[in-house]
Amino acid sequence: MIRFILADLRRLWLGGAVVVLLVALATALGVAVTLQERSLRLGSARAADKFDLVVGAAGSETQLVLSSIFLQAAPLPLVDGSILTKLSADPRVDWAAPVGFGDSFAGYPIIGTTTKLVAGTTPGFAEGRMFALEGEAVLGAAVNLPLGAEIKPMHGTAETGGHTHAGPAYKVAGKLQPTGTPWDRAILVPIQAVWHVHGLGEEHGHEEEHHDGDGHDHAHEGDEHHEEGGTHTEAEHTGGVAEHVQTVAEQPAPQPPKTAFALGAASSAHIEDDHHGSIDPDAPIVETFGASTPGLPAILVKPKTIADAYRLRQEYRTGSTLGVFPGEVLTRLYATLGDAKMILSAVAAGSQGLVAAALVLVTVIHVGQRRRQIGALRAFGAPRASVFTIVWLELFLLVALGIGIGFLIGLTAAQIGAQMFAAKSGVILPVGFTREDLRLALVFLGFAGVLAAVPALLAYRQSPATALRA
Amino acid sequence: MLSLKIENLAVSFPGLTAPVLAVDHLEIAAGSGVALTGGSGSGKSTLINIIAGLERTRAGHVFWGDQNFADLSEGRRDRWRAANIGLVMQDFHLFPGLSALDNILLPARLSRVATADLVKRAHMLFQTVGLKRPEQHVETMSRGEMQRVAIARALLRKPGVIIADEPTASLDLESGEAVGDLLLSVAADAGSTLIVASHDPRLIERLGRRLSLKGGQIVGDTQAGEMAA
Repeated sequence: MIRFILADLRRLWLGGAVVVLLVALATALGVAVTLQERSLRLGSARAADKFDLVVGAAGSETQLVLSSIFLQAAPLPLVDGSILTKLSADPRVDWAAPVGFGDSFAGYPIIGTTTKLVAGTTPGFAEGRMFALEGEAVLGAAVNLPLGAEIKPMHGTAETGGHTHAGPAYKVAGKLQPTGTPWDRAILVPIQAVWHVHGLGEEHGHEEEHHDGDGHDHAHEGDEHHEEGGTHTEAEHTGGVAEHVQTVAEQPAPQPPKTAFALGAASSAHIEDDHHGSIDPDAPIVETFGASTPGLPAILVKPKTIADAYRLRQEYRTGSTLGVFPGEVLTRLYATLGDAKMILSAVAAGSQGLVAAALVLVTVIHVGQRRRQIGALRAFGAPRASVFTIVWLELFLLVALGIGIGFLIGLTAAQIGAQMFAAKSGVILPVGFTREDLRLALVFLGFAGVLAAVPALLAYRQSPATALRA
Repeated sequence: MLSLKIENLAVSFPGLTAPVLAVDHLEIAAGSGVALTGGSGSGKSTLINIIAGLERTRAGHVFWGDQNFADLSEGRRDRWRAANIGLVMQDFHLFPGLSALDNILLPARLSRVATADLVKRAHMLFQTVGLKRPEQHVETMSRGEMQRVAIARALLRKPGVIIADEPTASLDLESGEAVGDLLLSVAADAGSTLIVASHDPRLIERLGRRLSLKGGQIVGDTQAGEMAA
């Protein structure tokens, strides 16, 4: 019987190929939508996994999450530096770390943060070690730079017309193991270095003059600058510097810490040409944040318990600050995503329905054309059950083959999509089949079985005499 | 080797007042050769379908030996036909894409009765009908060769009856004659009852008995000797 079916399929290979193709494409559409949506959900959830609570300035929750977790470059309002000081001292907080961004290098975002955050959110180092000095950087796993490479931060990104900070350069000290999150694409540097590049976080008693610099060419300034760690506390830092960190293409030009203690208001003339900050590559890292801590786009908080997390979020949702659970914000995003998925699924289901209807049409016509052959099979003694099985198997094989190929095409398409997405965002989208897909495949196959039974039944019911006469 | 007895058979189709076939009484002796003649619309094809069990007998009795077709369900009729009647059709009804040998064995295989012995018999029959390449695909054969394959297929399960519907009509003179010879000789060898519907006078005259149909009635029943007169 198998030989007969194969001979038959060989004879009708072109029609069979079209049927397989139709089924495969319709299946692939549905499978790709499902896989892509699921991987997006899983991937972004994993990306947010390590970030329990994010505190930022009052504003868009979604933007805060997108910027801090997915490192999407966008101007964020800054939260006052004192919040970090307060959070760090809070007994309910395991650790709190600043996240400063805005600079980039070769397309990779440069994130200023602390060793605690690096240690707390990554599985460890693939090579090298944690940054220990102000001029050192740690690379995410997806950053394609060697150890020891020199990184000159660019303000903003190249696409948005950013410019390179003239003086400062980081040296790569280590490379992290992959986390599958956008942070894999990040260059992590001590937060104080970011501040210093932008001339923040230093003790300066003057407030106005450091805003109107224009040059980027004051590389020399950093040379003699000796910043002492841990001395930030005394200065009255003014909130006016806040917008510098994020605002793309705006030139932050604060006062460099060149002569930190000696400077008074009178030195403003001097400052006119010393508007750009610089880092001291050899300065030790200081991670105690005093009152003079500059404004920050976001603070990642690791609460000690879940109850603490809820309490902290509640406390920091008032006034000028915004505490969010990234997971919660993502859930809301998924709800939107879910709607889109539903539409796509409906489109896919519609196309599958169309294909199914087309298949029924094709097979009914096909059986009509084969009446004589089917009648002859019966006349020469093939049992009715055999005739049914032949017609059913032929169509079922074609459709099942189409479904199988469709799942492969869908998987491939979803993987290509995920790769493109990962290359762009760093979020690893885990594309893969689950039990749910197995069920879907079984449902499809079951449907194919029923579909194939239509012409098979037609063939079964034909009287051989009538069929032969046709 | 089966005898046929038909009693009070009437076949009618809805919408037609007169039955397309009405046979009050007909007997065909086991092992005899009978020609069925008659123009189109004479009821010849209907009679063939009825005695081959392809069509259901609704009124009357059709006995092959002791077996009344009217008593059998469609499935059992199929099975009985497969085991006892060898069919040869005008259009061969061979299945392209399969070799000649596979075509001969196909009905038996679909009925799951194709034993090793039957395969051996298929090879033997292949030679009996005068063919040489069992692996040749049927679509590459001449029409005469195709009908030989069809005859071998009909003979595979040693049927007691061979029913041929216009076996030579689609063949040229020469191969028609050869196929006629073949049919007569294999039926004689096996002692099978042979019933042939045909227009072919040379084939008709070689069969012992001739039944003429017209308007659904048997209008003539002659023995070969009488016909020659």
